[in-house]
Amino acid sequence: MRTSGQDHQKQRTILQRIHIDIPLLIGILSLMILGLFVVYSAGGQEFGIVIRQSIRLGIALVVMFAVAQIPPMAYQKWAVAMFIVGLLMLICVLLFGHVGKGAQRWLDLGFMKFQPSEVMKLVVPITIAWFLSQYDLPAKISHIVIAFILVLLPTLLIAKQPDLGTSLLIASSGIFVIFLAGASLRLIGVCVGLASAFAPILWFFLMQDYQKQRVLTFLNPEQDPLGSGYHIIQSKIAIGSGGIHGKGWLQGTQSQLEFLPERHTDFIFAVFSEEFGLIGVSILFAVYLAIVIRGLYIAINAQQAFTKLLAGSLTLTFFVYVFVNIGMVSGLLPVVGVPLPLVSYGGTSMVTLMAGFGMIMAISTNKRVHA
Amino acid sequence: MTKRNEKYKPTTVAWRFYVVLGVILFVYSGLVARSAYIQIIEPDMLKQQGDMRSLRTAAKTVQRGSIVDRNGDELAVSVPVETIWADPKIVMQNKALDMKEHWQALADVLDQDVNTLTSRVLRHPTKRFVYIERQVSPAMANYVRQLKIPGIHLRKESKRFYPAGEISAHLVGFTNVDDKGIEGVERVYDQLLTGTDGTRQYRKDAKGRKIEILKVEDATPPKNVQLSIDQRIQALAYKELKGAVKAFKATSGSVVVTNVHTGEILAMVNSPSYNPNNRRNTAIHRFRNRAITDFYEPGSTMKPLTVISALEFGSVDKDTIINTSPGYMRLGGRRVSDPRNYGEQSLTDILVNSSNMGTTKLALSLPKEYFLDKYFEAGFGEDTGTGLMGESSGIMHDRQRWSQIELATLSYGMGVAATPLQMARFYSTIANGGIKRTLTILKATPENEQFNKSERIFSEENTQEVVNMLEQVVNQHVEAAIVDGYRVGGKTGTAFKAMAGSYGNDYVGLFAGIAPITKPELSVVVVINEPSGDMYHGGEVAAPVFSRVMKGALHLLNIAPDKLDGANAVKVSHVKTKLVKKVEDKDNV
Repeated sequence: MRTSGQDHQKQRTILQRIHIDIPLLIGILSLMILGLFVVYSAGGQEFGIVIRQSIRLGIALVVMFAVAQIPPMAYQKWAVAMFIVGLLMLICVLLFGHVGKGAQRWLDLGFMKFQPSEVMKLVVPITIAWFLSQYDLPAKISHIVIAFILVLLPTLLIAKQPDLGTSLLIASSGIFVIFLAGASLRLIGVCVGLASAFAPILWFFLMQDYQKQRVLTFLNPEQDPLGSGYHIIQSKIAIGSGGIHGKGWLQGTQSQLEFLPERHTDFIFAVFSEEFGLIGVSILFAVYLAIVIRGLYIAINAQQAFTKLLAGSLTLTFFVYVFVNIGMVSGLLPVVGVPLPLVSYGGTSMVTLMAGFGMIMAISTNKRVHA
Repeated sequence: MTKRNEKYKPTTVAWRFYVVLGVILFVYSGLVARSAYIQIIEPDMLKQQGDMRSLRTAAKTVQRGSIVDRNGDELAVSVPVETIWADPKIVMQNKALDMKEHWQALADVLDQDVNTLTSRVLRHPTKRFVYIERQVSPAMANYVRQLKIPGIHLRKESKRFYPAGEISAHLVGFTNVDDKGIEGVERVYDQLLTGTDGTRQYRKDAKGRKIEILKVEDATPPKNVQLSIDQRIQALAYKELKGAVKAFKATSGSVVVTNVHTGEILAMVNSPSYNPNNRRNTAIHRFRNRAITDFYEPGSTMKPLTVISALEFGSVDKDTIINTSPGYMRLGGRRVSDPRNYGEQSLTDILVNSSNMGTTKLALSLPKEYFLDKYFEAGFGEDTGTGLMGESSGIMHDRQRWSQIELATLSYGMGVAATPLQMARFYSTIANGGIKRTLTILKATPENEQFNKSERIFSEENTQEVVNMLEQVVNQHVEAAIVDGYRVGGKTGTAFKAMAGSYGNDYVGLFAGIAPITKPELSVVVVINEPSGDMYHGGEVAAPVFSRVMKGALHLLNIAPDKLDGANAVKVSHVKTKLVKKVEDKDNV
């Protein structure tokens, strides 16, 4: 393999030269285009919202292309620095962050507002992958414990903001690295046990009232159909009233008549389901699944432990995005503010996500170079 | 620490990726299954929920129509009233319960206890609607309005008022507090009286704006219902009946007056009655329209049917003499008897003497199918077609086996039971020359097809014979039924009240008759149930009521007297002939 590396390099296509993974790009673009249609329908059929979303998508694509040009091994060198800066920023947010929507998530840099937790979505898996890939795999228990602490620090800081959705995603991205790096099944069992033990602490000391309410509501949305159960009930009605074929684009009553809250952002899946039915949902799932499988394929074929772990973790985090959002909208999970990736209206998380895809593409196209 | 990324051991983690892939596939199937569940298993419920959130039906209500008698006199009208209701949420928000004097005033005007009043609001502090008092007068409503208690509102409603009171209570019926007919004509013609509310079904959005109108149904305006009842005859009949029920210590009674040509019911009254405008504490049995719900053995009032059946079949003619000696006979171990031996009787004598032997011999001269058919044809065992709720069909067994004694008792009106209305129909058929009609409580109008339906069941000739015989019954036997100036015919009846399996000690006194004999117009049936005084015979308790009601009805309807040869009639003849002439002229036009 190594000996033929030079030949392969000669045969590299233009796309590989500009570090683009075609299957991944096709999947991403199809989701984006689909998303524009749904955003148009859910956002009150205004072109303004579509244009704004298109600009965001454009920016996100540019970011992806840019990140894809960075050789993945470069992150290793900067991992520690990025992690420390990220933690400091999170602390800054807690100390003098900008308050919006009842939560302190933003850092006002004067010329722009900045959400450090988004950056941490990428920094945490990079750091953990870097840390664990220094040693023999499968990783030793002591290393895994250190890795857990590294994951826990940003997670708790973000949970304190409070931003349950993001902290969940960051925790899972780190834990995925640990799992892929070789946590034994016994250790996983222990962790699950610890997590369950942690739940009461979370409930009594860390969670805000509104977050507790969400969990209660999740367990029984009908107890307060006009208050906290409203989102889930309206959303389930929207999904269910789509039936097999859906009501047709722009025809969904729950969404068009504004019964559904957050319909162009977190609850866009409900709009999609209502208008395109089970058939549309199945297609959507197929596209997501294709992206995840492609990401895992890239990870398996990555040639360094670091890239392997990083690609695997980023892909799995993307999957968690999808799972948490759809689970929440369809009433399987409590309501946490996680958008439907690449489809929901909204900017910041989209950029982070696409940067992650940029890294995966870089890993995909650079595998021969440093091998 | 020193070992950097040169480390290359892909195999160590590869299996983990496949585990991950497996888990992902599993979770995805879970998500797909979840959507499929919501979209395929639950969608009907959820679609309905979606419609519940967005579909609204608006109704425009209209005031209930009136019920009037044949001359346009009002029997039931709607009057505007107001209903007081509370919005507890608003009451609590405004802390309106602190306005103690205002609540006291409200309680006083409504004649309620102030604590029970406020507790109704306090019990559901988040509700948006609680009734305080329904259907209050406009004056009371105005007073409440001026109290200006936050959260106390008024709503316009209408309330039924029955000017005729107890006289027509059974027939007209009444509505419930929601203005829906639940008894009598109010119920039968509820839809007509209410009209249908116009509805607009529309879809609204979360903010309540109307998005699209899905369905519009125009309202059909409420209509007035004009009854065949003549309130003047109705009032007269009620007055006479009530008097008789009281005088003879009867438990109840009914009178039915019909126009024999059209089948219109001109009066239908029962005693005891009730006040439809205040039904509180009324015993439930008083609500019963006994003229249609209760049936009695008609006894001798049925005998004309036996006679006309025999005439129709041809086993006898008007001149036939029947030997009823010795005044009794045995049939299958049971005894049929007359009070005394009447010997040889003509058909007229049989009716005048009310001879059970006579009708038994007539009945036995007929094939039993023919005889029974005549009973069914005369309308026994079927309702009279008024469409009133709760109308009974009486009892007339439709079976193959009839013993001779059963036929014999049937011939004098036992073993069969009929409502007063069924009797009125039979006598109307006789009076109408043998043409049977359905009875109606609606005024006959040419466009109403129901009134063109008729069926000849007896020949004109034979009915005329029976009509003449009925006149003889009154003239020779029932002086109490005579009406001055008119030739009337009729038949008394006195029957034991049937009890379970046997006969008790109570009687039913009946009289059914028609007038004027020259050209019959009216039939009147009087039933006095369970008279407990010294008098109980139909000729004693029912015939006087018949006479007075018939007389009044004939006068009220300007029907020409036809008995001008009598001494009394001659005296008034020069006064009346002019009137009669006039009336006859009018008729000719």
